[in-house]
Amino acid sequence: MTPSEASKVIRGVLCRGLSYEQTEQILKAMVPVKAETGLIVFKEGERPQGLMVLLEGTVEVFKQASGKKGRDEVLATIEAPTVLGEISLLTEGPHTASIRAKTACEFSLLTTTQFHRLLREESLAAYKVIAILAEVLARRLHRMDEKFVEVSRKSASAPVEELTAFKQKLFTDWSF
Amino acid sequence: MSGFEEVNYYFRKAARVMDLSTAVERMLVTPYREVKVDVSITMDNGELGTFIGYRVQHDRSRGPMKGGLRYHPTVDLDEALGLASLMTWKTAVVNLPFGGAKGGIAVDPNTLSPGELERLTRKFVQQIHEIIGPQTDIPAPDVNTNAQVMAWIMDEYSKMHGFSPAVVTGKPVDLFGSRGREEATGRGAVFALEEYLKDAGQGEVRGKTFAIQGFGNVGSWAARFLHERGGKVIAVSDVKGGVHNPEGLDIPRLIAHQKDQNTVTGFPGSDPISNDDLLLLPVDVLVPAALGGVITDANVKDLRAKLILEAANAPTTPQADEALVKRGVTVLPDIYVNAGGVTVSYFEWAQNIQQFTWEEDKVNAELQRHMRDAYATLARVVRERKVSLRTAAFIVAIGRVGRATVLRGV
Repeated sequence: MTPSEASKVIRGVLCRGLSYEQTEQILKAMVPVKAETGLIVFKEGERPQGLMVLLEGTVEVFKQASGKKGRDEVLATIEAPTVLGEISLLTEGPHTASIRAKTACEFSLLTTTQFHRLLREESLAAYKVIAILAEVLARRLHRMDEKFVEVSRKSASAPVEELTAFKQKLFTDWSF
Repeated sequence: MSGFEEVNYYFRKAARVMDLSTAVERMLVTPYREVKVDVSITMDNGELGTFIGYRVQHDRSRGPMKGGLRYHPTVDLDEALGLASLMTWKTAVVNLPFGGAKGGIAVDPNTLSPGELERLTRKFVQQIHEIIGPQTDIPAPDVNTNAQVMAWIMDEYSKMHGFSPAVVTGKPVDLFGSRGREEATGRGAVFALEEYLKDAGQGEVRGKTFAIQGFGNVGSWAARFLHERGGKVIAVSDVKGGVHNPEGLDIPRLIAHQKDQNTVTGFPGSDPISNDDLLLLPVDVLVPAALGGVITDANVKDLRAKLILEAANAPTTPQADEALVKRGVTVLPDIYVNAGGVTVSYFEWAQNIQQFTWEEDKVNAELQRHMRDAYATLARVVRERKVSLRTAAFIVAIGRVGRATVLRGV
């Protein structure tokens, strides 16, 4: 991917609503990163490097298995273009999940140091980026709410209904 | 497959038909209590002998638990659990107010003197007396245990809990045993066969041909009752081999010969036949009445009998059972066929509780009623649900145990 193609993608996902100058300010603070298929881009629990814009390729978000024998639990498969590591960028806590390149991937990294430098300088561009990230997070939170409702319905009521139905059937269908 | 896996195989098959959830299935399979005890005695030579005793109590929702005690080197928790759960389903199929249990001691009783056997039995009772009892768990004879062993159990238990003949069944008739108990399993198997023949429009026992593998308590009594009803028993066998006469064996004389010689082999007027070949005879009814696992993948395709009467426990492996069902050979399942033994055990217990002795005619008539009623229910399930008799038996049993469990509250 050429630098101009990369800037176009970054503009789309991270710099919507930014002026030309503001976009340039963000782009200048970013560095390109490449990952081969299978490479762990960042690990759950590690200190975050910063915000990653996935320019090209597909990644898997996963939680590592607890025991040696356990299998990793894949939370999501994400295709370019998108942003990754936004939670760690804002909380400055360790990564909450790991990311593995499912295909060869190209990223653009906005390091935590660079981002905080921009915030200290009261860069409007950086604040606009935060607004965009807030929107991304809000959408993800909404999806999680829906998922949570679905899971809690399944885990709580289904077996109870099933058991009640079976108890009933013992006296109707299975009484001879 | 272990005993437990085999029982569970048939249980799960019925569970699938009934659409049981995994949670309900787990609850029904899990035993109520498993006990493992040290049974140490002083041997005749003054040395210390330590043996391990087991009692697994599977389910008590329908009443006190019931099941045999066996003295055999292979006894362990897994085997006892499989057989204990089988007792739960078996007592439910014939609708006795009992749950299921099983146990025993890991020992080869042939290596013990009569004195050692008695001390071992009494010690075992001392170790498990708190978990057995007329209203809790009632042992019975099984492999290598007999009426004398039951008499010792009753005596030892009564020392600790007061006069309690109802703590065990299968006692000697002279010590609160029931008339008709010894022949009950064989008699019950023949009643089961008669019910099936009537229902299937295949007439009666008279004129039909039989091959019986095993000539112990179950096989010899079954042979006698079939013979009395005009059935032609053309082959029987024991551990030493078998005898065959296509014209039919004279069973009363064969029983006398067996008592005298301790084997059926060498019976005058018969040809020898191996245990394996006996299973393949072209008879109307094949009666496996000895070991488990004799009808297998290996010989099932060569079987020529039209009907199999499972007087023994688990004579047919699950794979062979599938093959027989596919071929349209009817299998009268062990869980129903050999329930006559535990049914008359129930009558013995009832007589002990009542302190009232029944005449043999009453015992036999009640046994026939239980076998007939149980068959009528199974036949209904087979017709309505299009399943085999074995699956029907498990469905009926699971239904009864399930309802009792639910009504008591889970």
